[in-house]
Amino acid sequence: MGTFDFLLQGLLVAAQPMNLLYALIGVTLGTAVGVLPGIGPALTVALLLPVTYKLDPGGSLIMFAGIYYGGMYGGSTTSILLNTPGESSSIVTALEGNKMARAGRGGPALATAAIGSFVAGLIATLALAFIAPYIVKLALVFGPREYFALMVLAFVTVSSAFGDSTLRGLTSLFVGLTLACIGIDQLTGQTRLSFGVPDLLDGIEVTTLAVAMFAIGETLFIAAQGDRGPDKVEAVRGSVWMSAMDWARSWKPWLRGTFIGFPIGAMPAGGAEIGTFLSYAAEKRLTKHPEEFGNGAIEGVAGPEAANNASAAGTLVPLLTLGLPTTATAAIMLAGFQQYGLQPGPLLFATNPQLVWGLIASLLIANFMLLVLNLPLIGLWVRLLTIPKPWLYAGILLFATLGTIGANPSVFELGMLLAFGLLGYVMRVFGYPIAPVVVGLILGPLAEQQLRRALSISQGDITVLFTSPIAAVLLVIAALALIVPLILRARGRGEVLAQLAASED
Amino acid sequence: MNKGNNPSAETRRPDRAALIIAVVLAAIAGLIFWDVSRLSGLAGYSQVGPTTVPYAIAFCLVGLAIWTAAEALRGDFGHEREKQEFGPVVWIVGGLAAQMLLLNTLGFSIATGILFAMTACGFGKRRLWFTIPIGIAFSYLVWLIFAKLLQLSLPAGPLERLFF
Amino acid sequence: MKHFFLASILAGALALPAYAADYTIIAPANPGGGWDQTARSLQTVMQQEGISGNVQVQNVPGAGGTIGLAQFASQQKGNPNALLVGGYVMVGAILTNNSPVTLKDVEPIARLTGEYEAIVVPAASEIKTMADLVAALKKDPGSVSWAGGSAGGTDHIAVGLIAKAAGVDPTKINYIAYSGGGEALAAILGSQVTAGISGYGEFESQVKAGTLRLLAVSSAERIPGIDAPTLKESGVDVVVENWRMVAAAPGLTDEQKAAVSADIEKLAKSAGWQEVLKTKGWQDTYLAGDAFKEQLTKDIAATETVLKDIGLVK
Repeated sequence: MGTFDFLLQGLLVAAQPMNLLYALIGVTLGTAVGVLPGIGPALTVALLLPVTYKLDPGGSLIMFAGIYYGGMYGGSTTSILLNTPGESSSIVTALEGNKMARAGRGGPALATAAIGSFVAGLIATLALAFIAPYIVKLALVFGPREYFALMVLAFVTVSSAFGDSTLRGLTSLFVGLTLACIGIDQLTGQTRLSFGVPDLLDGIEVTTLAVAMFAIGETLFIAAQGDRGPDKVEAVRGSVWMSAMDWARSWKPWLRGTFIGFPIGAMPAGGAEIGTFLSYAAEKRLTKHPEEFGNGAIEGVAGPEAANNASAAGTLVPLLTLGLPTTATAAIMLAGFQQYGLQPGPLLFATNPQLVWGLIASLLIANFMLLVLNLPLIGLWVRLLTIPKPWLYAGILLFATLGTIGANPSVFELGMLLAFGLLGYVMRVFGYPIAPVVVGLILGPLAEQQLRRALSISQGDITVLFTSPIAAVLLVIAALALIVPLILRARGRGEVLAQLAASED
Repeated sequence: MNKGNNPSAETRRPDRAALIIAVVLAAIAGLIFWDVSRLSGLAGYSQVGPTTVPYAIAFCLVGLAIWTAAEALRGDFGHEREKQEFGPVVWIVGGLAAQMLLLNTLGFSIATGILFAMTACGFGKRRLWFTIPIGIAFSYLVWLIFAKLLQLSLPAGPLERLFF
Repeated sequence: MKHFFLASILAGALALPAYAADYTIIAPANPGGGWDQTARSLQTVMQQEGISGNVQVQNVPGAGGTIGLAQFASQQKGNPNALLVGGYVMVGAILTNNSPVTLKDVEPIARLTGEYEAIVVPAASEIKTMADLVAALKKDPGSVSWAGGSAGGTDHIAVGLIAKAAGVDPTKINYIAYSGGGEALAAILGSQVTAGISGYGEFESQVKAGTLRLLAVSSAERIPGIDAPTLKESGVDVVVENWRMVAAAPGLTDEQKAAVSADIEKLAKSAGWQEVLKTKGWQDTYLAGDAFKEQLTKDIAATETVLKDIGLVK
């Protein structure tokens, strides 16, 4: 049987009414748990995996796919509506998405996120089915030096995309980088900045920082405005649905986000966040509406959300082709596969085609179910914003702490949540952007470790950082991204730059 | 650091809050220098060891502190700071602290119910005799769903043990 | 919110026949890792075999399991229903992190599974045998880069032992630590490093597919079904086993200890557990009681020596 036959057969199995129901239940459960701030897809899948054991292999595989996509998607809803990203990969979504929600455009923001996720999931799953073996070859070419170059690129593009003041953006970033140093140094096993506190040995959990800085910092900041703000946000202004204009501005970011997110997700050390960062930076540079960035640009939601979902499918590339679990979620999925007698590895496509294609078909169906579930719910979700502030924010704090307690029930973790919440509040008061702190915490260790690995492997020869073609290209792009705006600015006011500058002040 | 309520937008006087921020940044840099200096280099074959990056970050923080101080002295630090009301902030911080301290003894529902009520209080719902029971009831429902049905481990207290 | 609750109830109906609460298993690691998988497998088998009605798994991640260990020792003291999953990695982590709580502060019940280390090179590598690798290591230890798990972990310790046995200064090894197995494996497959070292299970499918060459395994004798010499046969006198165990809380009475031990023995002998071992590819290395404790003491002493040799512990 050829590739298409297997896929078709898988789809036929997955499309049976009972299996569709399982997909719907899986997506619902995944979304319900994934929506909690602090509970990312990994924990969602780990918690819900036992549910699938009760079913026959086909049904359990499809429910599992539903949980996976539901968990991935759940985080963006709270990001957009409440400015509380549930996990690190939906932080960028909060930047523009929440501004849109505040302006009564939560409906289109959620819709572009849901449809973008669907489009990205569809393309990426098909890519997984047909070009996985080639993608994985590319991913393996990436060694420490290439990753280091990628991190440099991410730093350069991301730092230029945040905030209106260079001083404040850099300060935020360096606060994040400082936090990133805390804990055991991975390469030598020595502790840094832990001051003998055992709870700090593993460093600061990204989700704890993100939930604290966004959810708690935001709550404190809103509360400190006293009675000045309106008691309720206007939930819907204009249509709850996407306008023709929204569609026109969304489809390109969806595709770009997919093409950025999928290969990065496929890289063993890529990670979903980096795809979302790069996608956001790309959209900000390419948009025809630069003045809207920072005030609720739909491109800034569409691109990163697509990138996020595409990289989720990308994670499956090394998992299915090499048996490499590259994220915690993938590691749990690996455990799940073993329940079905599936041993991921280079021979999987050859020895177990039915199950692999069944899984891919399940992913397609689950992806579709996600859309079916979420589009009608958008009207309901935006109504969350009409809950009076005292109850709304009390509820946000309840669920934010629930996520943290559920992931790690320690008093120390809650203490950190409070401390970083206060930090987030103070930073808001003084106009510091929040996202670069989290970006620093995520990218800092990756960049440092890869640099040190590269130098260690080359026994201290610095030239290796530039001599690999891929690394060289990435570094040149990073240099251009850094220098070109400076030159343009120095040469006076290019038309585009004037516009950009206008948006930045 | 909380002295952020002076409307400094139009003043050209040195910005006290910004100066404090500069001092804090410098202090963090000092902390890094102090902590990292006791590490052994142990770089192995790479000339970038476990101490290199923290030192670089500390140097940059010193630079940012100087930059911030310079802007503060010139009165350029800018950014309109809205007047902050600290009453609500204290209520919410108190709620989070109470939850943290009571969680392991009183269990999830009671501790989180108190957080819920104190947050609502910070937003103007002052009737604690009314909001605390609501908070506890709601938290209990949440606990039932997540701890009992979804097997998330949330600490149980007297209230939870009463029924399970 | 309504669909939220409805969904949850549905999930509950599927997941949970009503049982009384029973064992709580602490997995001192994040979801997905070996200890978490062990804990969740224990959960499944205990419920399935009727050893315990309802088993909860709680993740207390951090610092090679020492956070979970410390929390377990203090909070679960005297609780006969609490179990902790742990293993050899914990032994090293306790030493490198100067953990104030050690395995002496809990009640080790039994070793359940174990895995041997495998040394591999990419299929295209010029190194064909363990002897070639040792020769390269002797010639220039820095030129042989090893990819493996975290610094001070089992993989790192094994490389230190290999260097020492080969007569090379263990502080001179060029060990590249990776956080997850996947990332290290990718580096080996991509020929970014000279050699890789990890549990055999990590490499099994690659070895079978012919993309990696298995040079040696770290067991005392050849493992049935694995076509590779032991390190000993290759002239490197090293045996390393990465075992996983289950421990009970401190402060239990002798009867309580006996009850837990009996439950674990029942589990280890059950058909369900044997099935899990087979599907997961874990070796059955069940060892309980005083024999286990004796082995543990030996392991701790040997680990301390080698960590000092590498320079990770002063």
